[in-house]
Amino acid sequence: MDFKQDGFMIIVGLCVIAVILGQSIHFLVKAYKQGKKIGIETSTMKSTIISSALFSITPALAIVATILALAPSLGIILPWIRLSVIGNLMQETSAATAAVEALGHGGLTSEITDHTEFTAVAWVMALASMMPLVVLPFVLKRLQSGMKKVTGKSDTKLVDSLSAAAFIGLISTFIARAIIGQDTGKVVDGVVKSNNDGAGVMSVATLVSAVIFMLVLSKIAEKFKLRWLENFAMPISMFAALGVAIILTQVLPESISSLEWRPLTACIGGMMR
Amino acid sequence: MKKERTYNDKMHTLGRIWDIIVLVTLLLVPAVIGIRLNVYPSASVIFKGLMKVAPLFWVAGVVEIIAYTPLLGTGGMYLSFTTGNISNLKLPCALNAMETAKVKPGSDEGEVITTIAIATSSIVTTLILAIFVLPLRSLLPVISASDSVFAPALRHVLPALFGALGASYFVKHWKISILPISVMCLILIFAGTMTAGNLIIVGVIVSILGCLAFYKLKWL
Repeated sequence: MDFKQDGFMIIVGLCVIAVILGQSIHFLVKAYKQGKKIGIETSTMKSTIISSALFSITPALAIVATILALAPSLGIILPWIRLSVIGNLMQETSAATAAVEALGHGGLTSEITDHTEFTAVAWVMALASMMPLVVLPFVLKRLQSGMKKVTGKSDTKLVDSLSAAAFIGLISTFIARAIIGQDTGKVVDGVVKSNNDGAGVMSVATLVSAVIFMLVLSKIAEKFKLRWLENFAMPISMFAALGVAIILTQVLPESISSLEWRPLTACIGGMMR
Repeated sequence: MKKERTYNDKMHTLGRIWDIIVLVTLLLVPAVIGIRLNVYPSASVIFKGLMKVAPLFWVAGVVEIIAYTPLLGTGGMYLSFTTGNISNLKLPCALNAMETAKVKPGSDEGEVITTIAIATSSIVTTLILAIFVLPLRSLLPVISASDSVFAPALRHVLPALFGALGASYFVKHWKISILPISVMCLILIFAGTMTAGNLIIVGVIVSILGCLAFYKLKWL
């Protein structure tokens, strides 16, 4: 049997997710009890749980897709472990690619069969992502009290606006990528391959539908005082927008649905330089 | 008399303990794989691979800690950084939860709601990943094949997520929103292949500076 996905690897994976689930459940119970103590309504906490669960489904499926992208070379278990603990959708692919290249092994498309190479990749992926865990226990408390001192002196309206601004800055990078971003592409075995993240008809259509669904649902919830709809407007809008993406791909001619503003082929020269 | 420890203090202690447990688990994975296969890759090979990505990842990790501290609360911070996928999942999830529960980041209620949201999100994500990797493994290639019915949905998760999440923020804070979105689009016109991961830092700085300027000019 393939050593990359044998019983031993599965047991390692299960141990890792047991730790992650252990911490999550422990924190969930603690926060829930504290919520009751400070008088947050049980219904509010319950709907937070349900809406967060629904919210997480599609992003989790996108993470599953990343696991799959790494599976041909690394098997399915190691990418699964890496994306369950600290892993990040955007980072793991580049960490694995760098490790594989450093070993002089072409790229991520060919299977790794050598035990030493596989172990080296596992080390690089783990070490590359460990920094926040090393730093966090030392700095978080100090950082929080430092920030409190600064914000404590300021006007609350400014503090609220600044925290909104920080988040809007984050969202705007993803929005801008969906509007005008170019396929980031990757060089695999000397050939430039699409990363499927260029902006075009479909990314704009999905973005605009999500915005419209969200605005309409929030308006309906507000007008008819539907508290449940208010709680679920966000996950529902996300699913609905993804539904639009699926339907448009089915009904539009492929030349339109696959249209990207700045396709990868037009820029290969620029990328390779 | 000994001062009673606050909830926040307790979460710091718990967070640190779990942080260390997860860090050890993270490093044990390659260690046990190596022992099982009886291979010990040379440090120089690992170092060579690491140097290609670590400087960027490590700096980004520290910047992320600073950027997310005011938004995620104590429990949320420790949990987000051990389970990962923050900007594309945990952070939007926490902000959505605070928005619908009508609580503010940094308040006692905000602390509880963010922790509940992030814990739920990481439980659901971990279970979905495990279900697809173990029992449903054979279904995976069918769902994610480039010609499957679901392919367009999987490709466009980020625009759908951030469109839905952004909508209410943009309506409420449209004055703050115009500047960062325009600047990000402008940057992408010239550097189209910049990934969102690298753009985020610029986006957050532009947005905060713009907000400060508008405040000084009394436009907010």
